[in-house]
Amino acid sequence: MGNLDTDAGVTFEQSYATTNGNGIGNGKLPNGQSNASNSNFLLDNTIVDEQQREALVQILNQRKFSAPAYTEIRTRRSAAKAAAQAMKFKNANASNYHPAKNLQINGQVHALKEKPDFKPSQVEGKLSPEKEHYAKTSFEEVPLHTACLTYLGFYLLMILGYINQLLFVPKVASEKGREGYVTLYDAFESFYSRYVYRRIKDCWNRPICSVPGDELTLKDRVTDDYGWSFKFTGTQTRCLNLGSYNYLGFAAATGRCADESEDRARTAGLAYCSSRCELGNTEQHEELEKLTARYFGVEDAIVFGMGFATNALNLPSLLGPNCLVVSDEKNHASIILGLRLSGATIKVFKHNSMKDLERVLREGVCYGNPKKGGLPWSKIMIIVEGIFSMEGSIVRLPEVIALKKKYKAYLYLDEAHSVGAMGSNGRGIADYFKVDPKEVDILMGTFTKSFGSAGGYLAGSKKLIDFLRTNSHAHCYAGSISPPVVQQIVTSMKTIMGEDGTETGRNKIMQLARNTRYFRKRLAQIGVITYGHEDSPVVPMLVYLFSKIGAVVRTLTTRHIAVVGAGFPATPIMEGRIRFCLSAAHTKEQLDYALEVIDEISDDLGLKYSRKPRDPNPIEY
Amino acid sequence: MVKLKQLAIHLYRQYELITCINMLEPWERKLINGFFLLILALIIFSSFVYLPAYMQTLMQFIMPASWNSVSMTNAQVAQKMAGSH
Repeated sequence: MGNLDTDAGVTFEQSYATTNGNGIGNGKLPNGQSNASNSNFLLDNTIVDEQQREALVQILNQRKFSAPAYTEIRTRRSAAKAAAQAMKFKNANASNYHPAKNLQINGQVHALKEKPDFKPSQVEGKLSPEKEHYAKTSFEEVPLHTACLTYLGFYLLMILGYINQLLFVPKVASEKGREGYVTLYDAFESFYSRYVYRRIKDCWNRPICSVPGDELTLKDRVTDDYGWSFKFTGTQTRCLNLGSYNYLGFAAATGRCADESEDRARTAGLAYCSSRCELGNTEQHEELEKLTARYFGVEDAIVFGMGFATNALNLPSLLGPNCLVVSDEKNHASIILGLRLSGATIKVFKHNSMKDLERVLREGVCYGNPKKGGLPWSKIMIIVEGIFSMEGSIVRLPEVIALKKKYKAYLYLDEAHSVGAMGSNGRGIADYFKVDPKEVDILMGTFTKSFGSAGGYLAGSKKLIDFLRTNSHAHCYAGSISPPVVQQIVTSMKTIMGEDGTETGRNKIMQLARNTRYFRKRLAQIGVITYGHEDSPVVPMLVYLFSKIGAVVRTLTTRHIAVVGAGFPATPIMEGRIRFCLSAAHTKEQLDYALEVIDEISDDLGLKYSRKPRDPNPIEY
Repeated sequence: MVKLKQLAIHLYRQYELITCINMLEPWERKLINGFFLLILALIIFSSFVYLPAYMQTLMQFIMPASWNSVSMTNAQVAQKMAGSH
């Protein structure tokens, strides 16, 4: 751990360096290179080279963590608490977790002790769907003073940004020799990214140099000019990965999936350099489509090489100008782009509000198309997502299906995040709610997340898929999926279905469901505000203030936890958040370590906003 | 003493976070801190120099007239009593 900071006078950089040198705690250095040098140093400390290297590594570490990109906000603790913590470290193995120690094979699933009372990821059905939804969804209003402070802080940043823009204009900001042309940059966008986002730019787009499994390796970088430019220090940090959509842990450099993909690359090459309609169609692709259809229990499926394009390019082929689209307000950008391209009339309803959905549908049916003098729409389509990636909430599918039937609309369900992650068989939201997948007209999803691969699919009736095969731009013009990528999907899908003859897939699904519940309950116990459904593996933790996003991401990085922050352009101004994505590859020890750190820093950074009563009993894994 | 110092550090950190100061460059920090200090100084100054006078005027303004007259009569009574001795 090394960061037990009892002495308030010592600055963080110094304490970090000294703890590393003395080997307090478990004395692990954050990266493999320095780790190796440390052990060498202990074995044979007469070698001068090693000593020099050690010193160099320490300097690098100091430089890394003292540079603005990593300036940590030191954690405060009372002496008593620290002593208790130190005692705990000696006794409990769980708190002694360190990423560098845990060098197991990526994506390995640990044998689960089957407990009879363990709930799979499935709807209980004891209450009505509406009541169960409200019982299982955690939501809390923002405290008023936090809302005010968030806005004030934001205004301050904007004002300072404008002052900065007056004083320091980088060369790239002004376009030269382009008189008479339309400007290249959107004024507000470039202002925002230069003078507001730039201050915490180091928390995003961080380069990694390993498989993003349960752990990943961050490539360290520092900035000397407050985010204008970055340079690599040459060191790496091994971090616990709480930011990847690797729900079932199939993203791994070793194991069955990786081996079979490698074999496929050797036998079939890397790409066909042609579209499905021309030379890029192979038996393997056909097999994948059949497998996908079987996986979801529908008639047919079509696959594409890019998940974003599956939405953005297929929606225009399904919808036209005389169509009404009823879209959830939190839908993903790819859906919004597709809808705009299609030219259909878009009506937005409040996030997951069935009342509002019904209102919009009823108005659509009653008033018809106003551009055509109130003639009926040729098609009404409801577009929802399975798990909303920013909110962590789950669509209320049974109620949506009831409304769809009542108003004779079509239903397009984007399962990008939910496929694999939800349901006792990992078949998505329909499986979770025990709904017949044929009741959903169009099932869409990606292979990028749970399957650890790339691409997207559309599944539904044979008629629909045949229509798409002739009309979809993504099918006719885009290159077909690369063979090793297809192999990864096929292998992981078969593993989930249990067709490989092992229990691996089932164990992974169970482990994910268990991790999710445990993590969410522990977070609620800590007292932070989280959004979303208790079975959804996307866990947004609300931090509200813009400055806290940066502070939390940086502090967690120094504690070897990699998370994703989301701020203003992606969320409303007031709802800055940290998004944890759980995976079946995480073990209880890893989650315990993460939760302990979160508990500690949330005291310090003031993240415990929740006013709900907390569960005093320890949470059972 | 150590506890006090820790408390001060903690409070300053909270202040940094809620005002977004921890994201700023050093000169901006100085500017914003200076601005807040100036405001604070002005408030303290004015509350010592102007507030008492304001409060007196305000009291006179809010208080019912009878109270004022009563206090006046009391004072007059006291004065008279003093004078009679």
